[in-house]
Amino acid sequence: MSKMKIVIDRNRCAGHARCAAIDPELFILDDDGYIASEDFDVPEGKEASARRGARACPERVISVIEED
Amino acid sequence: MASIAELVRPVPSHVPASRVYDFDFHSDPLYAEKGDVHDAFLHLLNTAPGMFWTPRNGGHWVILEYNLISEAMRTPEIFSSLSQAIPPMPVEIVMPPISMDPPDHAKFRAPLNKAFSPKSMLELAGDIRELAAELIDKIAADGQCDFVSAISEPLPVLIFMKLMGMPTDRLAEFRVWVHQTLSNTPEREVAYGKVAQCMAELIDARIKEPQNDLISRLIEFEIDGEKLSRDLLLGYCQLLFIAGLDTVVNGMSLAIRHMARNPELQEQLRADPSRIQDAVEEMLRRYPIAMPSRRVAQDVEWNGIALRTDDRVLMAMPAAHLDPKAFPDPQQYALCRENVAHIVFGTGVHRCAGSHLARIELQILYDEWLKRIPSFRMDPDKRERFHAANVISIDYLPIVWNV
Repeated sequence: MSKMKIVIDRNRCAGHARCAAIDPELFILDDDGYIASEDFDVPEGKEASARRGARACPERVISVIEED
Repeated sequence: MASIAELVRPVPSHVPASRVYDFDFHSDPLYAEKGDVHDAFLHLLNTAPGMFWTPRNGGHWVILEYNLISEAMRTPEIFSSLSQAIPPMPVEIVMPPISMDPPDHAKFRAPLNKAFSPKSMLELAGDIRELAAELIDKIAADGQCDFVSAISEPLPVLIFMKLMGMPTDRLAEFRVWVHQTLSNTPEREVAYGKVAQCMAELIDARIKEPQNDLISRLIEFEIDGEKLSRDLLLGYCQLLFIAGLDTVVNGMSLAIRHMARNPELQEQLRADPSRIQDAVEEMLRRYPIAMPSRRVAQDVEWNGIALRTDDRVLMAMPAAHLDPKAFPDPQQYALCRENVAHIVFGTGVHRCAGSHLARIELQILYDEWLKRIPSFRMDPDKRERFHAANVISIDYLPIVWNV
């Protein structure tokens, strides 16, 4: 079974908050609207949403790592 | 400041002839020729180098390509925000945090991040919706309006003025000042002075009697254990005045103009309002509003181009977002466009602090307008008017609908 992981370069987050607009449960923001989530394993069934959230980032700081 | 003719400067020796292209971002004849500022930038993409030097407005670089703009805005050590105005100001005004670079920038950005966070802005949604409904209902039975004076000017500007603690009865006067601060005429410095004087009076009033508004909160704000100096406080207020009173106005007008010319999009969004969020993003991508500028901070060769300290650089956001290398089939407004990760609100540390407010206001405007006004179109007997500067503005937008 394949596993998906989200890796976030938090220092380069500019607070666009687009990831959270796609999925506020996967991508948690702090009070100022910058990413609060640490790197995380994507729960089963949330893969598509995680991919869309990563793609929505204008700073390109969210990476999707897929392991076989 | 010099007259407009004097603003044309000889091309400096570090700029090769192959990179010189005559373009006046304030009033290029191309705007009138194309009848549309965004189409003019599309034309530039096809005819000018991806980064070129124009002798107009004191002489400056213009970056058209998406990749170059992204990189430049994320490289503040070369593309500084200190003294970035085009044409240069005789006396630069420090407006925190927009005219600052890292590492200072972050400290001065903090109060705005709090004040304009997604959460704080969502709390305004009810007020925004109420005002939108009230303004639209006022004109719904008329079958026509100038969308700018009826809706896109009062809606975001009144919301912002209340948030700041500015006297809402001076809206018309303040709007004139904003346009003057963005102009390339001697009116610019005069208008900055008027804004400063007005904000200074408001600051004094709030020091005596604090209110639940942003000016009062900025007065209380501390950096490294100290309150802001009078000059910095004024700088913040000048920035907020200019940033808050113009951009969303034009975001709304550009959107309604596109919808007026594309009734099928209106129908699509009326039938399925859940698409409004995507519709707003693609509209921002198709019609960027603001063009930030930077100042080169070191002599450097960057992407094969020789830059010299103090060269000014304009980020032509409309061109970047119509760059086919970044967005396939870029002229097409495509609601289903995959991956609309645009940088219309900027990229890097200077990402527009008001972006969350702007998005909420635009989403509410689309929703309330489409709910309350039937299929609308451009008035066939009148013509819209626009002008350009660092903000692309629609000044008059005549639309009609059946009643």
